[in-house]
Amino acid sequence: MEKGPFEIHRVPRLEAPCLIVSWRTNDPGDVGSQVTEFLIEKLGGQEVAEIRPLGFFPFGGVRFKDDLVQVPESKFWACEKQSLLIFRSDEPAFEHHTFLNLILDFAESHCHVKEFYTVNGAISSIPHSRPRRLLTAFNQPEFKTSLAGYELEGMSWEGPPAISSYLLWVARRRGMPGVSLWPEIPFYLAAVQDAEAAKRVLFFLNHRFNLTLDLGRFEIGARVQNERIAQLRKEDAETDQWVHRLESGENLNEEEQLELTRDIYDILRKVS
Amino acid sequence: MGIQFYQRPKLDHPIMIVGWPGIGNIGIIAVNTLKGSLKAEEFGEIESWEFFYPQRVSIQEGLLEKLEFPTHKFYFCRLEKKDVVFLIGEEQPSEGERMYARGEKAYRMANLVLDAAVELGCQRVYTSGACVSMVHHQMKPKVVAVTSTERLREEVQGYPNTILMSDLARRGEGEGTITGLNGLLLAVAKKRGLEGLCLMGEIPDWLSGVLLPYPKAARAVLEVFGGILGVDIDLSLLEKLEKQIEEMIEGFYAKFPPETKEEYDQRKLVSQATSGTITVQAQIYVDDRFKKGGDEGGERPV
Repeated sequence: MEKGPFEIHRVPRLEAPCLIVSWRTNDPGDVGSQVTEFLIEKLGGQEVAEIRPLGFFPFGGVRFKDDLVQVPESKFWACEKQSLLIFRSDEPAFEHHTFLNLILDFAESHCHVKEFYTVNGAISSIPHSRPRRLLTAFNQPEFKTSLAGYELEGMSWEGPPAISSYLLWVARRRGMPGVSLWPEIPFYLAAVQDAEAAKRVLFFLNHRFNLTLDLGRFEIGARVQNERIAQLRKEDAETDQWVHRLESGENLNEEEQLELTRDIYDILRKVS
Repeated sequence: MGIQFYQRPKLDHPIMIVGWPGIGNIGIIAVNTLKGSLKAEEFGEIESWEFFYPQRVSIQEGLLEKLEFPTHKFYFCRLEKKDVVFLIGEEQPSEGERMYARGEKAYRMANLVLDAAVELGCQRVYTSGACVSMVHHQMKPKVVAVTSTERLREEVQGYPNTILMSDLARRGEGEGTITGLNGLLLAVAKKRGLEGLCLMGEIPDWLSGVLLPYPKAARAVLEVFGGILGVDIDLSLLEKLEKQIEEMIEGFYAKFPPETKEEYDQRKLVSQATSGTITVQAQIYVDDRFKKGGDEGGERPV
């Protein structure tokens, strides 16, 4: 039988750490996954704990992606040298409030985390050829002010909340500062890996935490992606026209958006 | 998390009337209409963030301003005959993928509502919902009652257009289940020594799986509440909705094949209280966009 909500492998030694959170589900452009996987790999992150899944995920079957079975995971990784705690998880299906509090319980009680960052993706009508803005939502004005020099742009949104917004709210009630990071993702890249958006987030984290990480992998990924789209534009006048219209600040209708997304998805999936 | 009262109205032995969404939204439409008609005043709420996923976020210029959860608000009004407290919940707390409340969360919510009821001096709670039956949609729905005590069972027999569950056709000895909080609240109330009764408006079986309100049954429930409270209820807004929905239902009905319609129409000839063995698979004539999935909820026989 399971005991307690956590399975703790070891308590990490971190000094005034920051927490970085990403979600494996509802992750447009795979930005959250790309960023946290890269950080864990390059910073030598060690898995230190996990939240037990029972009660938070449905166990009536199994989800699969790209033909591979996906087991719900909610794991903490510690990068002790850089004093970063990383949490990667599927979004829970049930008991969200309890689950979000558990993330903060572990971060505060076991690791003394002082602030947190969530990595997400904001689906946008911008074309891939434009620089990506890094949109943000803070849960405390003081924290927002303290990050004023990082070329972040405040987002405005009213509507259904993402789980990261819910986490911001739960953390604010506990007095923990947090920010969600939302790089813009062209809608037609939301279903594939958007290297440019991941790079934009990592560029910020690199500066914020003095990580001195080489982001060449993402530069190459973005370049290859752009070249493939450029090739498609040469071969397909309709695609070229649609992207051109987006570059001119026009919107596409629903049917055009779907066709453009399908065409670009096909060409990029072939490459990947 | 708990109950937050913005003010403490002085109430004389009030009754509590509770409404949550359910089949045909019969209960919540009735309770909302009653609350509006009596101009009841909001005076508190149940802080409900542990029960629900938030519905809406507001982020302005990079700052999280607020997160909105389904509300559970208290209202009161003072009437000549009785003082009344209303509790109106926007959503039933569910566990897993279920649409209607059950399990620990539902039990906790029911107890929170009754904590407030006890604190305010209420000794009786009314819930309201749907009773899925063989009624024809062109007939006036009856109000079907389930009560927590023998004394109340006697009392409801004096209510207009109201029958006990055991008097409804095909319900044996009045056994069954009232799904969700409209039922659970009565159980918890009984356990805590409060009187409770559920007034359910009849809804035709084939419309119970349809994503449409059924104001006709809400009106029947309202008429009973009007009698209990000794008040006239303003039904003008309800009438408008009733007309719109009736037109839609008549549209589905018009699509029934002649033999189905003939069979279904026999329901108009038999008294629901004494007979009713005709079942019609009429749901297939409802437009797909109005069909709902998930668990069925409402009152169900054994």
